[in-house]
Amino acid sequence: MDKGVIEVDNLTKEYKKLKAVDGLSFTVYKGEILGLLGPNGSGKSTTINCILSLLNFQEGSIKILGQEMSPSAYDIKRKIGVIFQDVAVFEELNVENNIDYFCGLYITDKAKRKQYVNEAIELVGLKDFKKFYPKQLSGGLLRRLNIACGIAHKPEIIFLDEPTVAVDPQSRNHILDGIKKLRENGATIIYTTHYMEEVEILCDRIIILDKGKIIASGTSDELKKLATILEKISVEVCNLAPKYLEDIRKNSNVKEVCYDNHNLVITYYKGKNNLAEFTHYLEGKKIHYNRIFSERPTLNDVFLELTGKGLRD
Amino acid sequence: MFIHNFKYSLRILFKDRMLIFWTFAFPIILGTFFHMAFSDIEKNEKLDVINIAIVEDDTHKVNNIYKASFASLSDKNSKNRLFDVEYTSLKKAEQLLEDSKISGYLVFLEDVAKIFVSTNGINETIFKFVVDEIAQTETIMHNIFDTKINEYALSLEPHELEKLNSLYDDIYKEVLKMRENSTDSIQDVSSNNLSYTMIEFYTLIAMSCLYGGILSMIAINKNLPNMGSNGKRIAISPTQKFKLIFSSLLASFITQLIGVLLLFLYTIFILHVDYGSHIFYVILQAIVGSFAGLSLGLFVACVFKVSEGTKTGIVLSITMLGCFFSGMMGITMKYIIDKNLPIINIINPVNMITDGLYSLYYYDTMDRFYLNFVHLLLFSFIMIGFALVELRRQKYDSI
Repeated sequence: MDKGVIEVDNLTKEYKKLKAVDGLSFTVYKGEILGLLGPNGSGKSTTINCILSLLNFQEGSIKILGQEMSPSAYDIKRKIGVIFQDVAVFEELNVENNIDYFCGLYITDKAKRKQYVNEAIELVGLKDFKKFYPKQLSGGLLRRLNIACGIAHKPEIIFLDEPTVAVDPQSRNHILDGIKKLRENGATIIYTTHYMEEVEILCDRIIILDKGKIIASGTSDELKKLATILEKISVEVCNLAPKYLEDIRKNSNVKEVCYDNHNLVITYYKGKNNLAEFTHYLEGKKIHYNRIFSERPTLNDVFLELTGKGLRD
Repeated sequence: MFIHNFKYSLRILFKDRMLIFWTFAFPIILGTFFHMAFSDIEKNEKLDVINIAIVEDDTHKVNNIYKASFASLSDKNSKNRLFDVEYTSLKKAEQLLEDSKISGYLVFLEDVAKIFVSTNGINETIFKFVVDEIAQTETIMHNIFDTKINEYALSLEPHELEKLNSLYDDIYKEVLKMRENSTDSIQDVSSNNLSYTMIEFYTLIAMSCLYGGILSMIAINKNLPNMGSNGKRIAISPTQKFKLIFSSLLASFITQLIGVLLLFLYTIFILHVDYGSHIFYVILQAIVGSFAGLSLGLFVACVFKVSEGTKTGIVLSITMLGCFFSGMMGITMKYIIDKNLPIINIINPVNMITDGLYSLYYYDTMDRFYLNFVHLLLFSFIMIGFALVELRRQKYDSI
């Protein structure tokens, strides 16, 4: 992963007085999945649109495969596939025709195109829905069609802009599996989302954006190390007296204790046997509890610590 | 790539039911309403043959002027037939009038033609007008005749006076012949002007042509990144923008022509609208009008940075306003605009179409038709020019 497929340098995009993208610089390497993670309005889609030369920008440069990206860079465009946040299909065309139409903008050979269309249908699992019109498809199937339209021509570089928004779990898994397959076939992928679980599953590297700026970047593990908390223990316990909460707070490893609606959440800075010590304490005080589990810090915790707000706020 | 996009643009346009309704069905429905509304008005305005009676007495039998005039005006083979005359007795004529089977009857009382009617109406007025005309003509003829004969008689010797009789007969026959060959003084001239129905149908054709703007606007919109995700996806493909735009335009033009063709077929074969001998020019004008409509749609699609619904509203508003100014809701409006604000009709594409079509009927030369034809082409190229300038922009400030 040494060759920069996409190089973004000091990209700045302003809408009147609002800086949607503020001096963004990053490189995407061949064959990797780069996740752009951030809440709504953080500049993810604007960044993608600037890279694709759909939007003007005030400062910076964008290179794809070593060439300056421009609206007339047809050689570069031929190697790009995009799946936008909003479904981009024609209501008047059925599944097969939609994919054929968009694929036909790249592939002129009819026989080859037919093969590509069938492979795309196979990849997204729409074989049984080939003759269906978009309005006959569920939200999840529609998203799959959206993806098929964007990748049927077998692009080398794929932009996926929140492709799983409002998708049922089954379709989401199907979509994520499909993206993994695309990477296995050699595609370089930029994946934007505000679902941290997805970037954790899919992405080799993650860039966290907020207000158009990069606030952190690295692998999932590297980012989690940025968090000051080490562990989070959640337990369901009824009618816990305030004096017990005070006892728990006195532990030097504990950062924060929250008790709300019979749910107790304790976050720890450090410590090796926090869960064992805590259960021992509850049993010693004869406090009955139901579910109890321990969590490692998530990307949302990292984001929360860095920005003071959650990813989905 | 051109054919690929053309093929799918055509398919997308034809599958858009709403669009097909407005471009194909709506003009046909409107045409049907026009036909229902205006054909009756026209029927009422046509002059019917008037039933009259002439009392056939001795005076009438020798009055060749009256005989010849009514024979001409009641000739069943004449397109200007005005009367259905029954030659009868006075008693029967009175009975016919009483039974309302005739509008009036003519009788000679002391060598003077008199008419009797039972009511006052258009038929009775026309009958009276005709009889007055004949009486006036008869007087003029007699006066001229007597003057000429007297002048000639004075130049003759007494033994030559017998020549007068034969000359009298010759002149009288000649005058009568001239009278018979002369143009009728009363004609139904209403068919020389365009009927209400034709005016409405020409405006309908113009409206249908301009509605093509919605087709092209929608076909072009799908290629524009600021109009939705489809446009963005198409814009990042390696296909040249102008190829996409012109293939989409061609698809909408063909769809539009099919719509106009259907309108012509429907009006000619179902509504029996008679476009007369100018049908070729009418169709030619409709084709150029459709091109103008298309260019208007292209202009609106590219220049206005608003939603598709608003763009549709703009094309419809321009079309309907253009129709109104060019006389769809009453031809008087066209005259008012022509007189007071001629610039509006000069730049109004609907007026260019309808004015060209009217000119086929009102003028003997084709100059005005071709002038409108050229204006329509100019309008189209100006619209396309503005759109292309706007299309050259490669990136957007916001999408």
